[in-house]
Amino acid sequence: MLTRRDFVAQLAAGAAAVGAFSLAPSAALAADCSASSPAARRPVVSFHMDRPYIDPTGTAMPYRRPIGARSAAAVARLDEGAFRRMQCYA
Amino acid sequence: MVDFSSQPTMKGFFAPTRFEADVYDCEVTGKIPTDLNGAFVRLGGDWLYPPKFEDDSPFSMDGYINMFRFKNGIVDYKGRWVKTPRFKADLAAHKQLFGKYRNPFTDDPSVHNLDRSVQNTTPLCFAGKLFTLKEDSLPYEIDPKTLETIGPYDFHGKYKSLTFTAHPKVDPVTGEMICYGYEATGLETRDVFLYTIDKTGHVKREVRFQVPYVAMVHDIGLTQKHVLIPVYGFVSSMERLKEGKVHWGWDNTKPAYVGIIPRDGEAKDIRWFKGPSRATVHTLNARTEGEKVILEAAIYDGNPFPFFPPIDGSPWDPTKARAYIRRNTFNLASRDDGFTEEKLFEMNVSDLGRVDDRYLSLPYRYAFTAYGDKQRPFDQWKAGNLGGRVNNCYGRFDLATGKMSSYFAGDTHSLQEVCFVPRKNGAEGEGYVIGVASNYAEMRSELIIADAQHLEDGDVARVLLPFRATAQVHGRWMGEDELPFA
Repeated sequence: MLTRRDFVAQLAAGAAAVGAFSLAPSAALAADCSASSPAARRPVVSFHMDRPYIDPTGTAMPYRRPIGARSAAAVARLDEGAFRRMQCYA
Repeated sequence: MVDFSSQPTMKGFFAPTRFEADVYDCEVTGKIPTDLNGAFVRLGGDWLYPPKFEDDSPFSMDGYINMFRFKNGIVDYKGRWVKTPRFKADLAAHKQLFGKYRNPFTDDPSVHNLDRSVQNTTPLCFAGKLFTLKEDSLPYEIDPKTLETIGPYDFHGKYKSLTFTAHPKVDPVTGEMICYGYEATGLETRDVFLYTIDKTGHVKREVRFQVPYVAMVHDIGLTQKHVLIPVYGFVSSMERLKEGKVHWGWDNTKPAYVGIIPRDGEAKDIRWFKGPSRATVHTLNARTEGEKVILEAAIYDGNPFPFFPPIDGSPWDPTKARAYIRRNTFNLASRDDGFTEEKLFEMNVSDLGRVDDRYLSLPYRYAFTAYGDKQRPFDQWKAGNLGGRVNNCYGRFDLATGKMSSYFAGDTHSLQEVCFVPRKNGAEGEGYVIGVASNYAEMRSELIIADAQHLEDGDVARVLLPFRATAQVHGRWMGEDELPFA
């Protein structure tokens, strides 16, 4: 069964791949050329009103999934004593 | 007004969560083994209100009990505060009224004589009841269906110690619980009351004795014939409390003691063995072999807790806060009060280790615990630059061969305490390794389930919570036949 999380993750990964593809100069040129051909466009995940949606035309700005919350960074500067003072068993 | 902004360490993944939760039919990757029926019950702490003192111990966090309920391959999650008198008083006042760890002299005068326990250490299932444990008070009974707090429990009025350990031992042969309270007659007393409670929950035996000095007695070892009582350098005094300090300080000059008492013995039968300064905060297992008593544990070289600082004013030494799996052997036939110590594995591990509980007090082969493997990848771009300071692996340590097999949680994860769930009728070590991982990239907690005999293969399933679960101190698996879960 496809979960909501898997659905968003897979589509986001697809969108990220499209985004990465467009960053390569030669690939971007090819993408531009193919974009001019409606038959070659692929659906992308985009955002409207803070909600993800699938743009079947492939013309919307694709959503690029955040690389990560980096939620451990907030405490990374702590020395060993302060770190273990906070979460001795983390 | 609740304001955590001045708390320098309560940020990012480590910020308080402070909510109660129910998640029905949790999101799962992989496949939950259908022979896992029961609950993984976790106890830990979160701050309802910021601590009154910045240098207080995290052991003062308000208790929070939560469980992953497994039934026919489906998992539900439930989390609730442990609603102690302290929790209720704080909530009514809309602020933290209680001061430093186990120091009532630092409390607001309005809460003097109120039970100041926070119930944040170990969940216990015994005699058909669910309890939370904190070593400064009696157990609290919890409703296993709702996780709502019922209240303190004294085993039909027969448990007389004012305190109850966070680490009672249930003998798998007799079903009896061996438990104790230290500082049993009040703050700063050397009194320990040791109990045997039968499997129906009735006190069968009580022995009263004293430890060599007022010290933390967090865990014990149990064999079929003896009880082992480790005492180490966390010291306290009434003067210290009146000076407004946290309960414990570390005294590097104190030898580590291990008291050994026959299970059917009296106070006069205790024999105290003495060794170098160590901290045996948690034990793995123990056994009696003829005249020898053997204790195995992940033992620290020194003080593991910076929030219980050295009493001589010296800085806390992180190089001593490393635990290694060691074997202590005590020779009852010898007149010498020393003992031998062996390091069984040369790697630094978490001292929160577990064994197959069916082998507690008996000869056994496997120990499980978490550790940090710096050779494994850590993706700092996704997780944050905390590489090298995570427990990214669970290990199965084979004490017979000295070999270790390993489970790796992922390059953005850190693992909390491991738990071993035996497979029904399986041999020792057959079953599942479970535990909660903090995923720093996704800001969520994930319950890991791995086959204990095939750790290198990775997990068989993960339960994904859409939020950060409160940090666990200890978690226990409780079978469906042990408690009336919903």
